[in-house]
Amino acid sequence: MITLVVALAVGAALFGIGLYGALSQTNLVMIMMGVEVMLGGAMVNLVAFWRFLHPEVFSGQMFVLVVMTVMALEMAVGFGIGTSRFRSVGSVEMEEARELKG
Amino acid sequence: MTVQTVLQTFFLAFFGLAAIWFAVVVFRTSSMVRSALALLFSQTAIGAMFLAMQAEFLGVLQIMMMATEMAIMAIFMVMYMMDPGGLGEMDMTHQKRLSQVAGVVGAVAALVVAFFAGWGPVAGSAPGAFEQTRLLGLEIMERSMLIFETAGVTILTAMIAATATAIAVREVRKRGEGE
Amino acid sequence: MSVALTLLMLAAGAYLVAVLEGWISTGRLSAAGPITGGLALLGRESLVPRKPDRIFFEVAPPLLLVSAVLAFAVLPISPNLIVADLATGALFVNAALAYVMVALVMAGWGPDGVYAMVGGWRFLGQLIAYSMLIVMPITAVAMRAESLVTTDVVVSQAALPNALYQPVGFLVFVAAAMAVCFLPPLDLPNAPGELAGGVEAEYTGWRLAVFRLARLLLVVTLAAAITVFYLGGWSGPLLPPWAWSAAKALLVAAAMLMVGRYVPRLGEADFLQWCWKLGIPLALFNIFYVGVLLLVLP
Repeated sequence: MITLVVALAVGAALFGIGLYGALSQTNLVMIMMGVEVMLGGAMVNLVAFWRFLHPEVFSGQMFVLVVMTVMALEMAVGFGIGTSRFRSVGSVEMEEARELKG
Repeated sequence: MTVQTVLQTFFLAFFGLAAIWFAVVVFRTSSMVRSALALLFSQTAIGAMFLAMQAEFLGVLQIMMMATEMAIMAIFMVMYMMDPGGLGEMDMTHQKRLSQVAGVVGAVAALVVAFFAGWGPVAGSAPGAFEQTRLLGLEIMERSMLIFETAGVTILTAMIAATATAIAVREVRKRGEGE
Repeated sequence: MSVALTLLMLAAGAYLVAVLEGWISTGRLSAAGPITGGLALLGRESLVPRKPDRIFFEVAPPLLLVSAVLAFAVLPISPNLIVADLATGALFVNAALAYVMVALVMAGWGPDGVYAMVGGWRFLGQLIAYSMLIVMPITAVAMRAESLVTTDVVVSQAALPNALYQPVGFLVFVAAAMAVCFLPPLDLPNAPGELAGGVEAEYTGWRLAVFRLARLLLVVTLAAAITVFYLGGWSGPLLPPWAWSAAKALLVAAAMLMVGRYVPRLGEADFLQWCWKLGIPLALFNIFYVGVLLLVLP
């Protein structure tokens, strides 16, 4: 019981730090790093739930595999977009990305 | 509280604190490469937590994937950011108060749920490591086959999308010059 | 006990590979070469660049050492001589070798020097080329063994070693292994002529000794990995199992070192093209081929 709560607490802390990072940074790459930290926290929670509540059902581990895949894909597409923006504007600062702002 | 549970809790707490500390370093340091490598070690600590929770395949996979991903992130940071060495001490944040409040609220909400929810009976042991790899493979191939296939198609789509986004500008320019 | 013995064999392997490397590159066989060279390095002055990134500068050589030793820890030398018999041993070798790249990126960025940084980032280019090629052949090997445990992989080759069963995968894996331990012709990170030593350029004294030792251990580890995955590990008629493992690993290491003398250095742009346009289709074909063989043959 204590072990489960320790793992969930770590996941919660990582989620909070990732949320702070994703909201406070101005650069696209740093925002993506915040999202990575958040997803890491989510994965810790998932594995803790699998191990301590339902270790016989492996769809928990399958969920973690899907989250890892999403992490990799989000980084790939994000860097593609970042490359494209860097080529057209010269920086990836999100403060300057106000073209669509009403 | 058996010796095994005590050890497990200790290692979880140790690696968890390491993961949290490295994640804090990611956003507090002004050197970009240090930031990327701190994220790498944070994810490695998360992978070590998986190993402590006896999910061996996931732990090894996490450690392997994140090392490669974060090193690639390091080179992208050096390419795209203004001050990769961090010697200029620029403050690259905005809406600091809002994001601090949001982070704290998110973490506290998750902590409250973690402490006060009734999780039910805690399982004593997990299948052995050798058995787990086999069972995970069977799970992927039998029940979660559709999810796995969808993930495969998603990976292909993302690869094509990323490549197309990254090379799109050149094609437009060439077509413009050809007219 | 077995842990100490395995590490002793690793050290002995590293010593022999160092003697081999000296023999191949200078043409003179000096059995005490590594010891005198190492002592000379330790005795030299240890310079630190003007404004290094201290953490990276210090951590990079030990991290390289640790990753090489960790990768070796899951490889069996004989049926009961393995440091850590992990259930996902074949995958763990890759996980440990991924930190070779982290160490080299640190060594490139840390010293705040041009040649080091260029060497480090060029190794990242090499990584993008070889990282698929070092995992996919292991997938085919695990398919045949029906397990990720390295001992099972060796046992599954009792009938026919994987080098003959899946030759395409063998060649791809050897090429990728030479890229991981940055042996010539893929030694862009520490190119002696072109980059004035590259990643090793700013290291002197005992740090350089640790770096060179780590690289030797990496070569031994990869030779041992090739032996375990493709050459049947410890199987052989007359000698004891550990002697067969050692002999095969040394032979592989000697072959890898000799190739470097005859092939010109491959830049990472060309290597990327070769790997992604030729290597990955070959690796995928290898997986398909092994799958067909496993399902069709009795």
